[in-house]
Amino acid sequence: MSGGSRPVVARHVLDVRDVSKSVIGPEGRLDILSNVVMQVSEGESFAIVGASGSGKTTLLGLLAGLDTPTHGSIQLDGHALETLDEEARADLRRRLVGFVFQSFHLLPALTAEQNVMLPLELEGQSDAREKAHAALDAVGLGSRRKHYPAQLSGGEQQRVAIARAFVHSPRVLFADEPTGNLDRRTGRHVCDLLFALNRDHQTTLVLVTHDLQLAERCVRSVELQEGRLAPLERPA
Amino acid sequence: MKILLLALRTLRREWHLPELRTLAASLVLAVVALGVVATLTTRMERGVLASAAELIGGDVGVSAPETIPAPFAQMGEQRGLSVTRTASFPSVAFAQQQSQLLDVLATDTAYPLRGTLLIADARGQQRVTHGPAPGTVYVDHRALVGLQRRVGDTVQLGGRDLRIAGELMQQPDGGELVAMAPRALMNLDDADRAGLLGVGSRARHYVLLAGQPAAVQSWRSWAQSATLPQGGELITPEQTQERMRNAFDRSDAFLRLTALLSALLSGVAIALASQRYARRKTGEVSLLRALGTSRARVFGLLLGTMGGLALPAALIGVALALLLAQGAWYFASQLFSGVPTVLPVLPSLAAAGMGIAVLVGFALPPLVRLADVPPVAVFRASMARRIRRFDVLYLIPAVVALALIWNLSGSAKLAGILAASLLGVAVTAGLLAALLLWIARRIAPGGHPALRLGMAALARRRGLSIVQATALSMGLTALLLLAVVAPALLDGWRKELPSDTPNWFVLNLQDDQRADFSKALARIGANQLNMMPLAVGKLTAINGHPIDSLHFKDERAKDWSDRQLRLSWSDELPPANTVIAGQWFTPHPAQAEVSVDTMWRDMYALKLGDTMRFDVGEGQIDARVTSFRHVDWTSFRVNFFLMLDPTHASALPHTWLASFYLPHGHTEALAALSRDDPNLSLVDVDALLDRVRDIVQRVTSAVRWVLGFSLLAGALVLAAALATSGQERRHEAALLRTLGARRGLLRIAAACEFAMLGLIAGITAALGAMIGGWWLGRSVFHIKDFMPQPLPLAWSALAAAVLVMLLGLAGTRKVTHTPPMRLLRAE
Repeated sequence: MSGGSRPVVARHVLDVRDVSKSVIGPEGRLDILSNVVMQVSEGESFAIVGASGSGKTTLLGLLAGLDTPTHGSIQLDGHALETLDEEARADLRRRLVGFVFQSFHLLPALTAEQNVMLPLELEGQSDAREKAHAALDAVGLGSRRKHYPAQLSGGEQQRVAIARAFVHSPRVLFADEPTGNLDRRTGRHVCDLLFALNRDHQTTLVLVTHDLQLAERCVRSVELQEGRLAPLERPA
Repeated sequence: MKILLLALRTLRREWHLPELRTLAASLVLAVVALGVVATLTTRMERGVLASAAELIGGDVGVSAPETIPAPFAQMGEQRGLSVTRTASFPSVAFAQQQSQLLDVLATDTAYPLRGTLLIADARGQQRVTHGPAPGTVYVDHRALVGLQRRVGDTVQLGGRDLRIAGELMQQPDGGELVAMAPRALMNLDDADRAGLLGVGSRARHYVLLAGQPAAVQSWRSWAQSATLPQGGELITPEQTQERMRNAFDRSDAFLRLTALLSALLSGVAIALASQRYARRKTGEVSLLRALGTSRARVFGLLLGTMGGLALPAALIGVALALLLAQGAWYFASQLFSGVPTVLPVLPSLAAAGMGIAVLVGFALPPLVRLADVPPVAVFRASMARRIRRFDVLYLIPAVVALALIWNLSGSAKLAGILAASLLGVAVTAGLLAALLLWIARRIAPGGHPALRLGMAALARRRGLSIVQATALSMGLTALLLLAVVAPALLDGWRKELPSDTPNWFVLNLQDDQRADFSKALARIGANQLNMMPLAVGKLTAINGHPIDSLHFKDERAKDWSDRQLRLSWSDELPPANTVIAGQWFTPHPAQAEVSVDTMWRDMYALKLGDTMRFDVGEGQIDARVTSFRHVDWTSFRVNFFLMLDPTHASALPHTWLASFYLPHGHTEALAALSRDDPNLSLVDVDALLDRVRDIVQRVTSAVRWVLGFSLLAGALVLAAALATSGQERRHEAALLRTLGARRGLLRIAAACEFAMLGLIAGITAALGAMIGGWWLGRSVFHIKDFMPQPLPLAWSALAAAVLVMLLGLAGTRKVTHTPPMRLLRAE
């Protein structure tokens, strides 16, 4: 499956083969994803778009190892996620993955700096504070280190979340509607930052959004329709 | 009506919320703790009074050294009360060559109206009976031994030959500590015809009455206003049971204290749970307000929901309290064998009222603030969090707590100490928790990632951590306070009645008998012998004014000045006495001196330096008041209201009063001794001692049992605290899991967090229990030389840390299993 015109990098950071996801609901079995096949190469930016309820979030969860597929195989940086237990997947996430959420998910009682330090603290890194400073400087919030989330605007909070996502140099960054809670202008600035860091760090970026303009900025885009992937129809 | 239905629907929908279940559990616990203790103490009170009636042989009565005027019986009969007449006097019985001084009670055949008169016939068959028929007598075992007679034999009493119709096994004994022994029961008409009750006899006459409580009360009111014969006095259950009552009063205070602390802890749990509930409901309330629901209607809805929760919970609490009280009574009732008492319901209902007051007091502030959430908060959640530096609403729990303390402690002093201790613990715990958190936050970055995360978790919820630590501290303080004070208190009670407490008293010992009597006692195995001189006199003047010309506010003063007083003297201040003003006697004072008990000081409004004149025998003594004493009348020692200085008093005509301990099984040897010295009166207080020991033992068990309520309340506080932070914890766990944290790391982090929390609470509680326990022990329970031991408290603090850690881990077990997908789904 390919969508963009740029050259495809040979090594696949994500390799999804014939993945399906079903859940048992009150009205019986519900198929959320069916036979999804996709590959994402190292350093690539990749967008998944779709309407509400199309299965975007479920797919993102599967790709990041937060959940396991009912059928099929997902390889993250060469590791078959479906063969790993939850603890091993947690180890993998800690080393390889960064997240940016629509609702930022900053811990309200921690300062911006402490929030950014969190992934490094989980790894037991002793220079967490210095790296957090650098990450906050990189997103332009060096002067707001001691501020709590409630003292920051929505855009600033998302920039802190981006700093947290990049601070431990992940191989893949998953972003779930990163501009969903922001106004258009702020959203654009946050996206500029996200793509700049993606470029500078050579991090693979997997983006879930319903914003087509944002999806267009990615190297490749696919659309989820009722649990199945289809190439994104780009406007002429 | 509509709003009530809506509230009940809301409650049904929200019943699964942990905070509502915590609220209900806290209320049930508060009602149960308060209800059980109140029911049990009320029932014990009734039991004490009822068993007092058994001891008296009637519900109420009057006694006098002369025949009781007819109206006292007539007024009782008019009110439908049963009446019995008795008279007690010492008399010598003869049987062939043997003679024995007996404590005789002459009764009519209606005696006793209350309690049991149990006799055994010649074959040892026991039966319950009433006063003996004319021509017969019942005597106790010691009398049979002393007279060398058996049931069916004849003895001569008052010059009449009487057949021994039974051995006296049990009788209502008047509840008097100082009663003559051995005992005999004879017919009142026989005694009258024998001239034993005539003018000049040493008989004391009684009229006893029994019947419906209202009629008894009516007779009491009448008798209190009637003129009693010279030297007469009313006999009431209250005065009869003073000793038993003292044992109950102290246990009552302790049980109430335990219940109070359990209720207050439940209040803390309620406060935490209701805050969590208010926070959870903020979004819903702002939406309701935005959709046009008035503030009053929202508040009504919240009140309705709370009411729907509180009423069934309170009723469950009442039912449980009655059930537990009934169970506890099963054990306690053996203290009042044969006393029928009905399970009182009112105390448990009152406890339900108090429980609801606790719920309202502690849950109201967050609910009122919740109703205040503005409609605009539906757009901006931050609008719902208007921070006020001081909110008068938060005084409500304090007022409710104070009212509860006041109501249950029944003493301003105890209430003050309790309130100050709890407030002190709360403030100290808060400050200490803040300080330790600050230190931990600075130390943690250099430690293990789990420690850092644990400390970060505490720091993240700094406010809640401080509240949690404070609440846990208060719970633990309550437990440790009780653990510290209870053993010392119970040990103190036991020490007051060691196994060799004097169980015999001897009256009328003469100077020349003392040495031989001491030797004889030693021979039969008696020990702990203590002798006190005893002079009998009358108070005739104070500061030179004849006592009859003086007027006293206290009505008892007149009565006491009509009585024969027992005076004694000693070089040393007797045990169980404390001089609270003035000084104990100096050697060889120029003028006679007297030391006065505080009851007498208050009754006669005496001051140091006043002079009291006593007529003793043919002479008089004018003594200056040089000290006032506090006397522990529960001590089972020989004590005196008035003590004179030995220099001047030893010349007064006197006898000796001796007390000693005689092991069981030596009664016959003592009876022989009494035959050799027929002037001596021996008094056996073993039965009374056994009864009080039994009470102390049962009360000890009851206190330990009630401690369980405080333990449960402490656990509820922790559960409420965990429920308060539950959602936040789950969110954090999901985030940390998403970022790659292993479950083990989260568990160790939680262990660090709760251990730290427990340690803060434990240290504060140990300090609070140390200081508060010392204060309570000394000031309220008067435990001598009481000093809580620091080492067990330090261990308790450590144990608290481990316990809180384990409870915390158990409470957050599910949190560490929070699936990381929850974070994405929460978008």
